[in-house]
Amino acid sequence: MALDPADAAEYPPELSRLPPGRHGLPRDFVVHNQRERLIAGLAEAVAEKGYGGTTIADITRHAAVSRRTFYEHFDGKDECFVAAFDTVTEQLRGRVEEAFKAEDEWPVATRAGIEAMLAFLASEPNLARLAMVEALVAGPVVVERYDAAVQTFLPYIAAGRKGASKAVLKHLSDSTEEALVGGMVSLVSRRIVAGQTEDLESLLPDLTEFTLTPFVGSDEAARIARD
Amino acid sequence: MDRGYRAVTVADIVRRAGIARNTFYDNFASKEDCFLATQAYAVEESVARIVEASAEAESWEERLAAGLGAFLKYVAGEPALARTCVVEALSAGEAAQERYEESLQAFVPLLRVGRESSPHGEDLPETLEETIVGGIFWVIYQRIVLGETEKIEALLPDLVDFALTPYIGAESAQRATARL
Repeated sequence: MALDPADAAEYPPELSRLPPGRHGLPRDFVVHNQRERLIAGLAEAVAEKGYGGTTIADITRHAAVSRRTFYEHFDGKDECFVAAFDTVTEQLRGRVEEAFKAEDEWPVATRAGIEAMLAFLASEPNLARLAMVEALVAGPVVVERYDAAVQTFLPYIAAGRKGASKAVLKHLSDSTEEALVGGMVSLVSRRIVAGQTEDLESLLPDLTEFTLTPFVGSDEAARIARD
Repeated sequence: MDRGYRAVTVADIVRRAGIARNTFYDNFASKEDCFLATQAYAVEESVARIVEASAEAESWEERLAAGLGAFLKYVAGEPALARTCVVEALSAGEAAQERYEESLQAFVPLLRVGRESSPHGEDLPETLEETIVGGIFWVIYQRIVLGETEKIEALLPDLVDFALTPYIGAESAQRATARL
């Protein structure tokens, strides 16, 4: 497993296969803009009807572009969804990365990263639903990307191993980071399903304490979480 | 479930089961109905095994370890069923997803009693049990997705340690898992 948080900034190779402007279209502003509108249109349509119920017509209506334009950018709904998913996870990772890097101490940086994640998802309920709930029902290709995207958050947690005492390191296992990130993702997804996306930021103290505990112990984790 | 829930047809199911199509429809209304029945069966089986295993243990820590151990053993011993219920359940529609969530919730009380053994039980985050269970399932899910079901049973000490630490601290958790 990569332990350097800097690795997280690298876009996983499997996520970078979709260049903007397919079919030889120039990467000019108009095209880029259309593509972004289609992605936003898909997110709105999926929030309304779920992935299964969304049609190309729904996407183009929300995006206010023609059907022909849609097919200039994407082969179909699945490909548009993948592009949307990648865009959301890239943005999310960008926010987390920025917040994490702005702090020197790992526990505080971790809290800042969690805060940035929750703030982004709470402010973009359609995108949050798309990436954390609908992605799981959008077929095996997206599920694989979902798994890969979750894995890219592990290095932030693994960074806590640096400077940890021998006793702590002995206590951590190969799956500690996986379990922590998985636990966070699972709780956040459940809150989104329950229609509590706008309250996600209230989870900050709980998730911070949960994540820091294996590294710094409950008391210190609670102190930082509630600071 | 070699091909994933969405790609599987009723024809695939009857061929594998060696039964007639009519017999399938005598028992199930649809593929989804059959899936839900499979899931219900697996949840019932795993809960029964967890309850049985944990009943023999004395302390809370031992009950948790015995219950989780029985669960991991069941999952590892039934790789196809595990894939169906842990991985495919997420993409098999709303009813399957809901039941999956409910089965996760079955583990919450098993953990929650740990607050009584914890020196700071009342101060622990309200969501702690949900995140622990979510984390444990994510680790199991990953092993299944990666085709490493044979590694699942060996996760027991790590997962028990992960679950116990927030309640009783790293040192006590390590002592409790050392015996596993």
